Amino acid sequence: MADKSNDPVAMWQNMIGEMEKGFNSFANQTMSSPEFSKVMNQVGGVAAGAQKQLGELMEKYLVSMNLPSRAQMVGMAERLQSIEGQLNDIKTMLTQMNKASGMATGGPSTQMPPRTKRPPSAEGEPK
Amino acid sequence: MNAPTGLDFASISDRVQTEVQRAIQRSIKGVEYFSTSGPTLGSTPKDVLLSRGTLQLYHYRPLADEIYRVPILIVMATTNRGYILDMVPGQSFIEFLLKRGYDVYMMDWTAPKPEEKSLRMEDYVLDFIPDCVRKVQEDSGVEDVTIIGYCFGGVLSLLYGSIFQDGPMKNLICFTTPIDFSEMKLFSNFSDRRYFDVDRLIDSTGNMPPELILQSFDMLRPASRAVGQIQLWDNIWNDEFVKSYRMFDRWANDILPLAGEYFRTTTKDLMWDNKLFNDTMTVGGRPAQLDKIKVPILHAVAEHDHIVPYDAAKHLIKKVGSTDKEEVMLKGGHVSLVAGPNAIRRLWPKLDSWLGGRSI
Repeated sequence: MADKSNDPVAMWQNMIGEMEKGFNSFANQTMSSPEFSKVMNQVGGVAAGAQKQLGELMEKYLVSMNLPSRAQMVGMAERLQSIEGQLNDIKTMLTQMNKASGMATGGPSTQMPPRTKRPPSAEGEPK
Repeated sequence: MNAPTGLDFASISDRVQTEVQRAIQRSIKGVEYFSTSGPTLGSTPKDVLLSRGTLQLYHYRPLADEIYRVPILIVMATTNRGYILDMVPGQSFIEFLLKRGYDVYMMDWTAPKPEEKSLRMEDYVLDFIPDCVRKVQEDSGVEDVTIIGYCFGGVLSLLYGSIFQDGPMKNLICFTTPIDFSEMKLFSNFSDRRYFDVDRLIDSTGNMPPELILQSFDMLRPASRAVGQIQLWDNIWNDEFVKSYRMFDRWANDILPLAGEYFRTTTKDLMWDNKLFNDTMTVGGRPAQLDKIKVPILHAVAEHDHIVPYDAAKHLIKKVGSTDKEEVMLKGGHVSLVAGPNAIRRLWPKLDSWLGGRSI
């Protein structure tokens, strides 16, 4: 195998690794300052405000285009979720009924193994 | 043969040949990369036991002929998807636990909807977790439950454990769980109360947008994403590297929004006032002090964790009231501690040896 100090690929990979470390360390130092926090949060605050306004504008635009708005889609998703939730409840109920009647379905209600396991060391088995 | 310059020309020739082959492979695999999707993640068979908006409770189907008496309930971090613990067969923590004979349940999260912006810390700690614990008890027929919390899931588990001191939590395992938020230096600076107006942000966005969360994670290591791309291109000839890259990259970008009120409390009580560390934390008016936790506890921390530095996590074991307690520091980072080859070799066997005897 070639000596790593002469291997250009290894040198390249090493250089990238060092650059990453150096840049991260430098950036972390910069980001630790209160000034950074101030600027970052000022910019972030403006962006959040702009996002809210854009959202409201889009909502009006969609209504004027006779297209469903986000709120309406969310409402539909909610109804779907509620239906899914009810289906899950029915499924859980059926599973419990199956368990109670001892039926084997091959599905989720498949009988659980016995809860008798002991840790290997307690049984004298190698860990 | 060594030339007088010290260069091994035979090796260089081999190296050049290898690099040419890799360059060809890169072109072929590069096209493949963009035309295919990554591996299917989170595929260990499971059933949904409970679905309540952002909360999903899974029960994984057993893979052993005999299981331990005490079931495990995993509380996933609220910012991330649970499939980090169930990547692909052979690299799945869940699959590992099932094969070792544990009965596994997981509280996983989906993106909270806009109308879930009002979910508060108490909804998570005093309602979601107790509700899931009850479901686990009903489903398993066992009173005791072991809880495993990953990252902020660990914080929620600690809050739950310190409030519900009389059980039914039998054991508690935390992975990379911060309790001293003042030691999360960069996050503290990003959310400096003098400049970060959390009320204005949450009042205008409802829920905390995932882009902002992802951005703040990325800012901890700003060069790493670009370097990751270079490394991907460098190793795109290597199927295993690409598979692993895709799994972790997909997960790391799959960040969930946070419910607005919950984020507000996290910022004010934990980031600003460091209440959990200062023993002044309350949830829904109920004191949540770590010394009230008396159950056996294991805390696994990562040596190179850039998200939860050791200084933010190191006081947990000292502060809990348990007598049976252990901290284990393992090589790796915040994610490689729990998933990937590092975890398979280190954390998983450690956890199994610790938990087996406490699960009977």
